[in-house]
Amino acid sequence: MTGNDEALALQTEGISKHFGAVRAVDELSLSIPRQGTTSIVGPNGSGKSTLVNLLSGVLPLDGGMVIIDGVGLRVVHAHETPDHGLTRTFQEVRLFDQITVWDNIMVVLTDRRLFSSLFERIRPANRRKAQEILESVGMWEKRDSLAMELSYGQRKLLEIGRAMAMDVQTYLFDEPFAGLFPQMLERVKDIMKQMRADGYTIVFVSHNMDIVRELSDRIIVLDSGTLLAAGDVEPVLGSAEVIEAYLGA
Amino acid sequence: MPVNLDGIRTFARLAQNPAELARHARGNIELWANLFVIGWAIAFMLWQGAGFAVIVLTVFAIWAILAVSLNLVVGFTGLLSVGHIGFFGLGAYTMAILTSDPAYEQLRTEAIPTFGWTFFAALPVCIGLAGLAALLVGVVFNRFRDDIFVLVSFGFAIIAFNVFLNLRSVTRGAFGIHEIARPQIGNWVFDGEVEFLLLGLAFLALVMLISWFITTSSFGRVLTAIREDEQAIEVFGYRATHFKLAVWVISAMMTSLAGGLFASWTSFIDPNSFILLESVLLVSIVILGGLATIWGSLLGAMAFVLLEEGMRFIPYLPTEYIGQARQVILGILLVLLMLFRPQGLVGRYRL
Amino acid sequence: MAGNRENARGLPRLINVPGTRLLAALLTALALGYIAWKIGQAPPQALQFAFNGLAVGAVYALLALGFTLVYSTVWFFDLYYGAAAALGAYGVFYLRTDPSLGSRLDPNSIYVNVFFGAVVSGVAAWTLHTVLEPRLRGRTSPEVLRAGVILLAVALGAYTGIVLALPAHIHLTLSLAVGLATAGVIIAAVQRFAAALVPTISPTRIALAAAVPAALLGAWCGYLLTGAPGAGLYLSWGVSCLLAGCVALALYRGLYVYMRERARSPLIMLVASLGILLAIAALIVIVFQSAPRALPDAFGSTPWNIAGARIKGFNVFAIGVALAGFVGMWYLLKLTSFGRAVRAIGDDEEVSKVVGINTTVIIAVVFFVGAMYAAMAGILTGHDTALQPRMGLLLLLKGWIASVVGGIGNLYGAILGGFVLGLVEQFGIWDLAGEWKDAIAFVLLILFLSFWPKGLLPRR
Repeated sequence: MTGNDEALALQTEGISKHFGAVRAVDELSLSIPRQGTTSIVGPNGSGKSTLVNLLSGVLPLDGGMVIIDGVGLRVVHAHETPDHGLTRTFQEVRLFDQITVWDNIMVVLTDRRLFSSLFERIRPANRRKAQEILESVGMWEKRDSLAMELSYGQRKLLEIGRAMAMDVQTYLFDEPFAGLFPQMLERVKDIMKQMRADGYTIVFVSHNMDIVRELSDRIIVLDSGTLLAAGDVEPVLGSAEVIEAYLGA
Repeated sequence: MPVNLDGIRTFARLAQNPAELARHARGNIELWANLFVIGWAIAFMLWQGAGFAVIVLTVFAIWAILAVSLNLVVGFTGLLSVGHIGFFGLGAYTMAILTSDPAYEQLRTEAIPTFGWTFFAALPVCIGLAGLAALLVGVVFNRFRDDIFVLVSFGFAIIAFNVFLNLRSVTRGAFGIHEIARPQIGNWVFDGEVEFLLLGLAFLALVMLISWFITTSSFGRVLTAIREDEQAIEVFGYRATHFKLAVWVISAMMTSLAGGLFASWTSFIDPNSFILLESVLLVSIVILGGLATIWGSLLGAMAFVLLEEGMRFIPYLPTEYIGQARQVILGILLVLLMLFRPQGLVGRYRL
Repeated sequence: MAGNRENARGLPRLINVPGTRLLAALLTALALGYIAWKIGQAPPQALQFAFNGLAVGAVYALLALGFTLVYSTVWFFDLYYGAAAALGAYGVFYLRTDPSLGSRLDPNSIYVNVFFGAVVSGVAAWTLHTVLEPRLRGRTSPEVLRAGVILLAVALGAYTGIVLALPAHIHLTLSLAVGLATAGVIIAAVQRFAAALVPTISPTRIALAAAVPAALLGAWCGYLLTGAPGAGLYLSWGVSCLLAGCVALALYRGLYVYMRERARSPLIMLVASLGILLAIAALIVIVFQSAPRALPDAFGSTPWNIAGARIKGFNVFAIGVALAGFVGMWYLLKLTSFGRAVRAIGDDEEVSKVVGINTTVIIAVVFFVGAMYAAMAGILTGHDTALQPRMGLLLLLKGWIASVVGGIGNLYGAILGGFVLGLVEQFGIWDLAGEWKDAIAFVLLILFLSFWPKGLLPRR
């Protein structure tokens, strides 16, 4: 069992979340292996985004346990998730709107401790890293404009860049492809392929089945807050119950 | 990155090149605001002469310290605090009780504790007490945001005023405290207005330096991120509550410094200087000048002081209505700013 | 959208520490136990405090009712609301302090009269145009309609100015309006009844048939009023409330509509309305000076002695007004189509617009009604204690606290919160001195926000 845990990046044991009478996530147990790309799919309202919010501590758990990198947590504090090697992007892009693109990246590269951050100016290493990331997402020229002035696609890219700057093992991308033009879409796909090749664990939520087929090694299908199927892409997507959930929904 | 000395830089550049000035000036509200307030200030001082200018500048220094320290909370962290007058009053009362002349106080029927300390001995106590109070208040207030934060900060201001007014055994209530000592180093007393002005400006410079140091550090960048999206910054590993608490305490300490200075300057304080209205005026100074810039707070404080002094020269305006007329103008200015320029005159952050 | 709204409320989550609920329950039990013990010690005193609490609570409840109506529709804190309370109280003072009524200060000024005349004609022009335009579309040319509306609006404004300029004769000047209003109400009532009984008759014909008796009755009412100078006080209450409502409507239509289109956050609206509050408070000082003022005695100012407690009839009346205000608001929100529209806008303004609700009109009415509630609360306070220029901000904060304590956006919560706040304040000053009551209110607020962030009755 322990040997198995080593290979898992993320695991949940019977986690639940209710909004009033609605069971958004209901006694869900799943596991996501280390490295490779895992996609989470499911009809609208099946609890995909809630799951990501629970894993990253943005929403408090109503029950169950999240195991990140072998550490079991009954309460996930958002500010502790980077220590466990986890970061995320948001479905509705949540950048720091009224500060510059440059500061949006710098803010995740700096010291987390209160007092040392007070005495920290921009370090050369961080400067180089921020430049690297901004160049890789094609935003270096835009570094001095405010995040709110960017186009939607650029905002999406910048958010992915901000997550990359965290440099952790596991990345949760919530709908990284939604609403992107084809050109931008290719760019995000390339970034994710590169990250996969570099040995990071990528978990992403998407509606676009073509991209899911193209990118993911494993797939998790959710339906009304429960696990419908999980495993390799083609067998899962070909199975009768998954087809029924999609067409019946 | 908030560019704090923007105004000064602009002027430096403009002084060298008039053609640049003409090109730059067209439609640039920031520049016009800078030119207008500074030009007005200089013209006013020249017209009124040095004696009056010194007083105006001292009032300006105190308001500017308040505005700069409040801007740390309102502009950089996004917490619209209407309660800072409480810390101002705490600083002023601590200074008053610690330094007021015991011989004079003994003459009163209702005796309050007196210590007869010097200004510079009492100042650290002012700041420390305010820091402690801010820590306690901040722990409770840390969980509130946006308009609920406005409401509870109103509450803090009112509770503080109630304490100043009603805790008569310490503050002597509505009678106020007299004979507060002027600052003194050895045998040299800051008795003259000019000396006091220099002291005030020195403290203003200190507060500006601290604010500049904070806002240009990584800490300051995290504060602006908290202002934009507290939940998102938590996901990246920052404990937003700790950062908010820290800046709240720092800001309160600098505010109480202004309080101590104010008490020592007027040598008499009573609760009327610390009513809720003053706090609201302070917030409007910060918003008027510009959110999330230090320079903006200076500009706002200067405009505010000039507004009051300038009112004296409006014909047909009875003197007892000056304060009210200023308040009406400030109110209308606030509405106009919110309509057309929610970042204030030279601000870097729109509400 | 939902996320934004949650953000707008800024309500915190419950502290995520085990035992918080237990601690809160323990605190409540201790406080209640202590109060029960105190009551046992001195029952007459307790009765006195309880009655005072209800009397003050009635004012807070009125404030909270209007406040919660406005807030749960537009989701920003409108601080003009406090100014409305002050305007209401000072309006009565303005209308009741003519030298011929025995007052030393005569605040009556042509500027004030012209200002309110202008506000009323502006509001009237917009209202008339909104009401008449869809009905007369196609029947008259737009130019004729516009000219008629402007003429009527100017006439109404001039009339308001005259009423304000002659406060000692308010019973004479207003008898015209009262007579017309009575006639209108009678015609409308007859129309409703007849339409329900005999649906075949055309409404115009019923109105014509009812016009003569209605006109006679209206004229009689107006005539009765001309002989009753004592009615001036109660008439001035109505005028004052209406004027505060008109200012709110003018502010909404002239300012908030544009501001809300471009506002990024509710804080912008809050700061702008703070500016308005500042300006109005200062204008009040300019017109009335800063010394506290007293309103003339209303009925029932001499206290009765009941079981050792001194009870003023006026306070009982205030409690009655609060209850009536609650019933009125309940009827408006729960039983009328207007109420359904208000709730729809509160749930989602964009969707309401799409399904054809005229959101501008509905919200305008909401602001009008809300400000009237505030003005009435201000008037009750003014009669009970004294008028101060700063009273607006304090009353606003009390209404705000009461609506948070009761549960923001909940009608029942508002009235409950008001009375709870009043009782807590009064029982709180039993052991402390009376000056501390504002501090007590805010301590209560902070306790509630920490332990029951959603209030006693959360909005569903």
